[in-house]
Amino acid sequence: MVPDRFQYLVLLGLCLLGTLPLELVLGVRVWRRPARLARAVLPTALAFSLWDVLAIRGGLWTYSDRYTTGWEVGFGLPVEELGFFLVVPICGVLSVEAVRVRLRRR
Amino acid sequence: MGAYTATSLVGVLAVLALELAWFRTGLLRRRTYWIGYAIVVFFQCLTDGWLTKLSAPIVLYADGRFLGIRFPADIPIEDFAFGWAMCTLTLLLWERQSRPADGDDEPRPRPPRILRRR
Repeated sequence: MVPDRFQYLVLLGLCLLGTLPLELVLGVRVWRRPARLARAVLPTALAFSLWDVLAIRGGLWTYSDRYTTGWEVGFGLPVEELGFFLVVPICGVLSVEAVRVRLRRR
Repeated sequence: MGAYTATSLVGVLAVLALELAWFRTGLLRRRTYWIGYAIVVFFQCLTDGWLTKLSAPIVLYADGRFLGIRFPADIPIEDFAFGWAMCTLTLLLWERQSRPADGDDEPRPRPPRILRRR
């Protein structure tokens, strides 16, 4: 199975994999609008990364050494957290766009 | 009440303020958004539940920095405010780039009178 320290990264990968059929099967157009997606996701990821860095420094939360890689983006931000701020909002956009597509087709 | 409680509420208010004062997409009054958001919350319970489970936590929250209320499963309730702010900010930024050609399913509601520009 997956080594423990990749657990958080694998979870993010599963989120991407799980929502991919919305784009490929249902026909939602999110990944196919990369510029629009980037303009929605990147400012959010930046803002929440900053929030996270401050929260980590302030001692609000810590991350398990066992279930994370220990790789950092910088300023003490785990690579998994940056991944979270990119992946989860993309899944959110895919979900709402999927509802839009379904309601339109009825 | 801790620093996480306070900052997550500030995050929610900041996103609401951005929508009301600047973006004005009307997204928060749309059925599509709320149905979609219910789906997001369902999957948040699964993924966030995995990240926060006390038997083998990936994220460890400092005592006294959040309310200490974990629901459902072991998820600190502040995570729902944090997640709402994060996903909704993204959705608002996505929505404000939409064009009529994208085939919105509902006509965009007019802003309430108090918010309309004269």
